[in-house]
Amino acid sequence: MSIRVQPDLRNELIKYGIGDWNACYHCGTCTAMCPLSEEGFLFPRKKIRLMQMGLKGPIESSVEPWLCYYCGDCTKTCPRDANPGELMMSLRRYLTSLYDWTGLSKKFYTSETWELGFILFFASLVVITFLFILPSFGIKFDTTLTAQGGVRVNSFAPIGIIEPFDWSMAFVVASLLISNIFRMYYKIIWKNSTTKVSLWVHIREFWLLIFNFAVQPKFSKCDDKKYWLSHWFLMSGYTIMFIVIVVFLKWFQTEEILPFYDPQRLLGYYATFGLLFGLGFAIIGRIIHKDIKFKFSHVSDWLFLAMLTGTVVTGILIHIFRINGMPMATYFSYIAHMAILVPMILIEVPFSKWSHLAYRPFAAYFHQLKKHAVPK
Amino acid sequence: MKNTEQTGVFLYKHPELIPDPLDYNELYSYLKGVANVSNIWSYNDFPWNEENIIKKIETHNLNRLIIAGMMAGTVKTLFSKVMAMTGKDPDNVTIVSFNDYGLSLTNDMDRAKALLACAVSDIPFEIVAIADDSPVNPATLVIGGGIAGIQASLEIANGNSLVYLVEKTGTIGGKMATFDKTFPTLDCAACILTPKMVEVNQNPNIRLMSYCEVIEVNGTPGNFNVVVRQKARKVNVATCIGCGTCAEKCPAQAPSEFDAGTTMRKAIYIPFPQAVPNKYLIDAESCIYIKNGKCKACVKACPVPDCINLDEQDQDITINVGNIIVATGYKPFEASRMEQFGYGKFKNVLNSLEFERLLNASGPTGGNIQYRSQDKKGNWIFNNESGKPEKIAIIHCVGSRDKNYNKYCSRVCCMYSLKFSHLVLEKLPEAEVFEYFIDMRAFGKGYEEFYERIKEEGVSMIRGKTAKVEEKGGKLLLRGEDILQGTLIANYVDMVVLSIGLEPGEDNLKLSKMLGIPVTECGWFEEANYNVDPTGTFRGGISMAGACQGPKDIPDSVAQGSAAAARVIQSILRGKVSNGLSTISLSAVESRIKELTLIQ
Ligand SMILES: Cc1cc2nc3c(=O)[nH]c(=O)nc-3n(C[C@H](O)[C@H](O)[C@H](O)COP(=O)(O)OP(=O)(O)OC[C@H]3O[C@@H](n4cnc5c(N)ncnc54)[C@H](O)[C@@H]3O)c2cc1C
Ligand code: SF4
Ligand code: SF4
Ligand code: SF4
Ligand code: SF4
Repeated sequence: MSIRVQPDLRNELIKYGIGDWNACYHCGTCTAMCPLSEEGFLFPRKKIRLMQMGLKGPIESSVEPWLCYYCGDCTKTCPRDANPGELMMSLRRYLTSLYDWTGLSKKFYTSETWELGFILFFASLVVITFLFILPSFGIKFDTTLTAQGGVRVNSFAPIGIIEPFDWSMAFVVASLLISNIFRMYYKIIWKNSTTKVSLWVHIREFWLLIFNFAVQPKFSKCDDKKYWLSHWFLMSGYTIMFIVIVVFLKWFQTEEILPFYDPQRLLGYYATFGLLFGLGFAIIGRIIHKDIKFKFSHVSDWLFLAMLTGTVVTGILIHIFRINGMPMATYFSYIAHMAILVPMILIEVPFSKWSHLAYRPFAAYFHQLKKHAVPK
Repeated sequence: MKNTEQTGVFLYKHPELIPDPLDYNELYSYLKGVANVSNIWSYNDFPWNEENIIKKIETHNLNRLIIAGMMAGTVKTLFSKVMAMTGKDPDNVTIVSFNDYGLSLTNDMDRAKALLACAVSDIPFEIVAIADDSPVNPATLVIGGGIAGIQASLEIANGNSLVYLVEKTGTIGGKMATFDKTFPTLDCAACILTPKMVEVNQNPNIRLMSYCEVIEVNGTPGNFNVVVRQKARKVNVATCIGCGTCAEKCPAQAPSEFDAGTTMRKAIYIPFPQAVPNKYLIDAESCIYIKNGKCKACVKACPVPDCINLDEQDQDITINVGNIIVATGYKPFEASRMEQFGYGKFKNVLNSLEFERLLNASGPTGGNIQYRSQDKKGNWIFNNESGKPEKIAIIHCVGSRDKNYNKYCSRVCCMYSLKFSHLVLEKLPEAEVFEYFIDMRAFGKGYEEFYERIKEEGVSMIRGKTAKVEEKGGKLLLRGEDILQGTLIANYVDMVVLSIGLEPGEDNLKLSKMLGIPVTECGWFEEANYNVDPTGTFRGGISMAGACQGPKDIPDSVAQGSAAAARVIQSILRGKVSNGLSTISLSAVESRIKELTLIQ
């Protein structure tokens, strides 16, 4: 196998947030300190070496960056301030852009203008739709209230329109992600010319995928349990919200004000709480900069946090205004909510930070496959 | 002055380099006004890259560039290259390195301006920057009685001049006195050091002031008044016969400084049997009588009348000297600061100075390598009853080359680690020895050969610094990454030796203020010129030698001791001492430049 060296690779990687690529002097402290590094899958040092040498091929086929959960233990002890944790994070950004065949991911990660431009474009599409297009089809801002005194939200945003829209959005995102995951599979497993993995192993290890997604056991291995907890809340809250909004919108977006203990409300409250808890933790961490994990933030990290927070806050506002019978406030919150949510789902989920929701569990799967690979 | 139209000056104030106390705006105005230069750019004006600099050269038709700043030499290649690219003479790039001529010191702006004036008029600084002389008192003060201070004192005293050698502890000898062998020759350290120590004691030109500290320095180069505090020894040096009866009877114990805390000594003690002076002293902190007024066991036991005076107080002595040599050595890195290695937590994790004592034929175990044990009072000590370790690991770079502690390389630890490996195999041929290193720095004469030899002796050399040490099942578990093999290390050993680095002495800042000589960012004393005056300081009449200037080994410390002595001897022979760079006046430099340019 020939190996191609790309001396300018590091210049490219700098755009993904890699700081001082040359600081590392290969003492190996980070690898030994990392709770997740293991024989056969050693990181972060080895990955730093690949990066310094400009070996794009081996980087592309690496699964290790996804095994890192950024606990920051390596960065804390690195004698050279090489910041290995952040280097791993940057590699994840880079890999995300490599998996993405549309090339948009690369654009979004390396250019703020592109990312912000696209977000604003989709946001204005949403606003225009609600303010001009839908009204032209006879949908009005209905200010009369239901018998319970709630807002008639379904007449402003009819399920019949929103639901198919949600579904198609979900379809686009899913096809993007699935095709990218296949590309990831191809790069990490398929392309490997020296080993192969049997079909049976593929099937057997699949259950791990589900388990990994639900529990995120790796994160809990990091010394500090608070990361695991907050990340778990954030992830579960997000997933629940995503499912009820996209799949069960009919059941979730009701005009009737259900009793407090109804599963619909309980689930909504749980998801909101989970999101707020996780977000609060991440935002405070980033502002105070005390946790190494949050010390270095790429624009994409901030943007993502800001958008998710915006979605959650406007979502809460819709709920409050709706059950308190404030129609115009409800509608404008709804527009704002969608104006943030739509670009977040269309841009952040398939192309940017949020895509790790899909890549991480699959990486765990591929990791197991690699472990059980046999020489060809 | 010279025609400066085609000269471009680049002021290099790098935001991340060493602290830079100079005011570059003032330097800018000076260049514009006095030196008559109009093409001046600073580091913040535009990114310094080929393209931008070529533009400047071409638009202003420059044929000579001056790069001035802290460590300005680091950017020279860029400018030489650019000159060549534009068809100019790449040799016409002059570097003005302010840090080579003393910063953080009185008068530094004047000196910086003088340097710029010289560069602009193309006249070497050394020709015009001439410090005045003062008459010199032929007596010399040497501060610190390690190998460097001993060497300097002997050189001067043997040249027939008076030396006051002030040593802080109860004996001279410094760290070297605690070693068994020295790398790379494997000479017996005591065999080469003890004769020198004895010579110091016997030389009529040396006034040895042990257990003393310099507390005040007044006066000017050539004529310093120094106040030395003789700490209360409470034993009369003139009459004590060193019989040791007192210590036998003394009930109070404290860890022995000389044995790096690995044995216990009495409150009345002699640092080690060959100490110079070979006299006892009392450590007031552990003496029971001094604490609560009752005991006097030593006084009762001493056969010499009035030899011990427990009520003796500190005494200040004033001496007059013309020159001062600073040779206060280094402080070992405190290994417990790196919690990951478990020093202070696990009994058999040792620092290198402790291991030196364990290896030493005149050390606590007579040179037998033994586990550390615990005495009845819970102190961790060395004795001959705890058995031999079979696997010993040595971890390099502890506290050095680490931005969390000290970013510099301590220079001697690679070599003394190799020495350790050799000595272990000599004493325990069956043992397994592992050295965990990042890079092997064997830079000196015969050092690389020494490394090759130790490798052949069967030591496992593993590239990859250990990340942590844990205790598991009575063994010490080392974790790290073997860089060359690409595997994780999990090695169970019996004993771990931490090769701790060298740190600036704890008195450096105090002495720096007292003597008016600067320390570097890391805390080492700053030399007048790194290349051509490594033992000089910016202050006239003050030199330095040994590890107080920066980490170094014994041969280099000795060489510096002699070099510092040479500076002193030349001034005694001349009867004069230079007042040093710090007294150079800008106007004098300017007028000399004028004279020279007129002649030209
Ligand atoms: C574990 C270990 C092993 C080593 N092995 C070797 C080896 O094998 N070969 C080799 O070449 N090098 C070796 N070295 C390096 C060696 O120790 C130094 O090169 C050498 O000791 C430097 O001598 P020095 O006189 O400059 O300083 P020091 O030995 O530190 O002596 C300084 C003296 O100054 C005194 N002092 C300090 N402050 C004051 C003050 N304010 N007033 C008065 N007196 C003061 C101290 O008490 C001390 O006596 C080793 C170092 C270590 C840590
Ligand atoms: S990143 Fe830091 S800890 Fe890791 S090998 Fe490089 S220098 Fe050592
Ligand atoms: S951040 Fe944590 S998980 Fe990631 S490489 Fe560093 S130590 Fe390992
Ligand atoms: S007993 Fe007296 S003479 Fe003997 S060592 Fe002690 S102090 Fe000196
Ligand atoms: S001499 Fe060797 S052990 Fe000491 S700091 Fe330098 S590289 Fe590390």
